[in-house]
Amino acid sequence: MKSGAQSGKHSGRTISKHYFRLQSLHERLYSILIGPLVIVLGLFFLFKFLGTGDLMIHSISPFKILWATGATLGRLFTAYFLSLICAIPLALLATYNSWTEKILLPTFDIIESVPALAFFPVVILFFINVHFINGAAIFILFLSMIWNIVFTVVGGLQIIPKDIGYAAKVFHITGFRYIRQIILPSIFPEIVTGSILALAQGWNLIIVAEVIHTYIPGATSQNDLFGLGSILVNASAIGQTHIFVACISVMIFVIALLNFFVWQRLIHYAQRFKFE
Amino acid sequence: MIIEFKDVTKTFQLEEKARFDVALQHVSFEIEQGEFVCIIGPSGEGKSTILKLISGLILPTEGTITKPATVSMAFQSGALFPWLSIFDNVALGLRATHTPQHIIQEESMKYIDMMRLGEFIDKRPSDLSGGQRQRVGIARALAVNPHVLLLDEPFSALDPKTTAELHDDVLKIWRDTGKTIVMVSHLIEEAVSLAQRIILIKEYTVADTFPVALPYPRREQATEFMHEVTKIRKEFFK
Repeated sequence: MKSGAQSGKHSGRTISKHYFRLQSLHERLYSILIGPLVIVLGLFFLFKFLGTGDLMIHSISPFKILWATGATLGRLFTAYFLSLICAIPLALLATYNSWTEKILLPTFDIIESVPALAFFPVVILFFINVHFINGAAIFILFLSMIWNIVFTVVGGLQIIPKDIGYAAKVFHITGFRYIRQIILPSIFPEIVTGSILALAQGWNLIIVAEVIHTYIPGATSQNDLFGLGSILVNASAIGQTHIFVACISVMIFVIALLNFFVWQRLIHYAQRFKFE
Repeated sequence: MIIEFKDVTKTFQLEEKARFDVALQHVSFEIEQGEFVCIIGPSGEGKSTILKLISGLILPTEGTITKPATVSMAFQSGALFPWLSIFDNVALGLRATHTPQHIIQEESMKYIDMMRLGEFIDKRPSDLSGGQRQRVGIARALAVNPHVLLLDEPFSALDPKTTAELHDDVLKIWRDTGKTIVMVSHLIEEAVSLAQRIILIKEYTVADTFPVALPYPRREQATEFMHEVTKIRKEFFK
């Protein structure tokens, strides 16, 4: 009986091991084949739409659109990393004790509810004065992204089991070591979720954040920040549908790539950080 | 004597109201070096608070506690870190005290082997059964070489067969290492199976203390065992 039970348990484990091995093989094949296929198709459509010079606005070539994509991604990720760096300490502070929770969480809630774009004209004026106009877009993106991470991480901090904190204390894991070894891994799944939400918010706002001429009196589209968002808006404004479709396609393509190669992998990896 | 509670009271301030909730009141007892003591009592009347006070997780509101410098604890939930391997979970306490690497390796493996977890060192807690996870929790607690090992209802979520196996493991550890063990349980039979002395906590204080002089291994079917259980049960439900 005993050996039967053991062998049953063993075979169950073997089956699950095989299943996961097959699953990871399947995933690997998927990323090997589908990833490059998506890239090739994306580039094909981009060059097909923008293949002829007469369709271009301000001499925009497919390469320039790729360059604009890079500029937009640069702004998005600068804002994202700044949000991440600020959001985690803010979330830690908000959940530090019941008093900080009572004061900071409603405060964050109010600040989050104020639309980030309401500050945009003032932000632009400030960054024009310091001769760093990119900073205006980054700052607005930062304001719209940070709360997604803060509130998701606060949720993660609140569900860390009490015994985990007690175990850390019993084994003398305190101070910065406690944050690094216990808190950060514990909230890793929520950091990933918050990051996905923050980036989605960023993509929504980038279209407005790069088109800054509407906020500066007497400015033209020449004053806009070079990026996917501004090309999209300006192409749409002058009826260049091909450019518009190409930019939208590139945007969807980049978002899909990020989702597939970064976020899906991180979501999968984050499973090992979850408490049962 | 290794642990002494002298008239210890613990209250918690309730957040929503400016009033205090009593967790323990006027508790006094002593525990000798190498003794196996079990604390039993109804839920929510102070058993786990005693372990938290011994481990230093909380401080008494009144009274004094004498305890050794190194106290370690295994938790009801296991409290393992899901992102760490079994080896890293066990080695965690040693790493926190900046122990040299070769000692971390030796000590961790010693207790991993003692708890029969050798084949799982690279696995993660989610790959193990409930009983195996409790073994990891106990190995982690032992790895820091504590003077006192605290066990907070470590077997409450396990099936009877696994519980019986772990009882044997804990008794073996106690005999082999000579550690002082203080365990909290809500099961009278479990306490009588393992402990040399049982402290009954009722209404936030020590209601009674029962020395258990039965020889090991104790059989639940034995008349003397049943007699001990009946005696404690009477006081438990009084």
